[in-house]
Amino acid sequence: MSLTKIFIGAFLINNILLMRFIALCSFFGVSTSMDTSVGMSAAVVFVTMLAAWVCWVLWHALLLPLGLEFLRTAVFILVIAGLVQFVEMFLKKYMRGLYSSMGIYLPLITTNCAILAVTFLNVDYGFNLLQATIYALGVGGGYSLAIILFAAIRERLEDSPVSPSFRGYPIAFIAASLISLAFLGFANLFGISI
Amino acid sequence: MNSKTWMVVSLLITCLAAGFALSEVYAVTKPKIEQQKVDATNSALSQVLVTAQSFKEIEKDSLWYGLDQSGAKTGIVTRSGLRGYGGPVPVLVGLDLTGRIVGLKVASAAEGMKETPGLGLKATEDWFARQFVGLDSATALKKEGGTIDAISGATITSRAVARGVAQAIRKYSEHLKP
Amino acid sequence: MTTKKPSRLSYLLKPIVRENAVLILMIGLCPTLATTTSARDALGMSAAASFVLIFSNVVISLVRKFVQPSIRIPIFIIIISTFVTIIDYALQAYQPSLYRVLGVFVPLIVVNCIILGRAEAFAYGHGVFDSFLDGLGNSLGFTLLLVVMGSVREFFAVGTIFGKVVTPAWYRSAPMLFMIFPPGAFFLIGILKALVAKFKLDKA
Repeated sequence: MSLTKIFIGAFLINNILLMRFIALCSFFGVSTSMDTSVGMSAAVVFVTMLAAWVCWVLWHALLLPLGLEFLRTAVFILVIAGLVQFVEMFLKKYMRGLYSSMGIYLPLITTNCAILAVTFLNVDYGFNLLQATIYALGVGGGYSLAIILFAAIRERLEDSPVSPSFRGYPIAFIAASLISLAFLGFANLFGISI
Repeated sequence: MNSKTWMVVSLLITCLAAGFALSEVYAVTKPKIEQQKVDATNSALSQVLVTAQSFKEIEKDSLWYGLDQSGAKTGIVTRSGLRGYGGPVPVLVGLDLTGRIVGLKVASAAEGMKETPGLGLKATEDWFARQFVGLDSATALKKEGGTIDAISGATITSRAVARGVAQAIRKYSEHLKP
Repeated sequence: MTTKKPSRLSYLLKPIVRENAVLILMIGLCPTLATTTSARDALGMSAAASFVLIFSNVVISLVRKFVQPSIRIPIFIIIISTFVTIIDYALQAYQPSLYRVLGVFVPLIVVNCIILGRAEAFAYGHGVFDSFLDGLGNSLGFTLLLVVMGSVREFFAVGTIFGKVVTPAWYRSAPMLFMIFPPGAFFLIGILKALVAKFKLDKA
């Protein structure tokens, strides 16, 4: 699978949020404003890349050779939780400005399904380290694309006349449905289906 | 025991308990999972070589002997994965002892077939596979001097299947031909 | 003024509709939208998640007195991921077709906000039996919602429910396929949320 195909597949065609439904909790919670969305996206891309590397290395250097595949779920999620904790401490100490602007999103990332999904899929798809990196980038990028698009729409929805029962989440979901419909148009583009 | 020590100890105990529980579960379920995989493969292989009761793998994931109840060979099955349009085209070919093709199956989309729906994916349809049944020598697409009707608009996929068949016949001569 | 202690029964009943984890609390969305393409798959997913939820609630409640607050999250995660791995391998061995359908969502149960959420919000601070009830109640609520969504989507997109044909042939020849794709899922949950608001189901 060529690297471009892997990236486009993850970024657009099988967009992690709009087509694969992964990372939805953060999607609806954080997309209420553009600032929070951009902040969250940056954090997600960063942690996804790191987690992809660490888990890939752990899998190929430790779990697989020692026949410990059944520890995959536990190990990967602990790595992610640990990474998030570590990143938070690092930012707090050395990059205070960034820390305060990203503040609350960092712990939220641990339960971001997208990151765990990426670590798992890197193994399931049998990617080498370079492919895994590109895939992580594609997923992180696809997440950012979807959430920023959505934030823009939600900000507009705030000022729109929406009937009472639909205000807030209901109309947000319907809007997401329409964006997802648009992304569905990318299905099988270039014959990519990863 | 002060609180810091207990922190470490409790974490350790939890990990050990979890690890133990998981290794037990793994040990119990692993044989069943292996068996599932074997059953799934066998069921796919029997579709192209109905005379076989069991299969003996000769080359990993690409060549099997079909055996009847007494263990005598009834034919071979090959699996080819030659490059199509979107990826390898998985083709199972069953040949009897005389080298005649008795079954051919192109894997479905769910089984790893990545060709374009409406075009290359049509290779999974019966009419296309049936053209190969009964042949005992490799043949090419009609437009390349052979006898096979390609799928319109999906020459590359059709060619991958035809070449997979040629590969099967070659393997027959190498392994089974008396 | 003392507040009345919630009754045991409310632990079991509230999460089913009034405090339904997905519909009201808005957690656990990912598997809800992804695995409800048919009633059967929805049931499979909710059964697997329920297994993990109930067992981890019980175990976490059992050991809560030994877990210090500062390391409770990693301990929760270890316990939850153990049960997730158990159901993962059990499905692979005994229900391979369901496992193939659920795919990556089985290991994703470990980050299902519902399970971690209930562990933190309830099991860590309540007794074993109450935690069991809470786990059971949330499982029932989750299952109910998923099966409803799965049935609706399957009904509109294929014309069947749990595989049983319930629509006339003319419908099935041109069904509303939209419902089985991602946009349909988003749409359905938007409608369900609107219904909740309209009929004030969260104050039922």
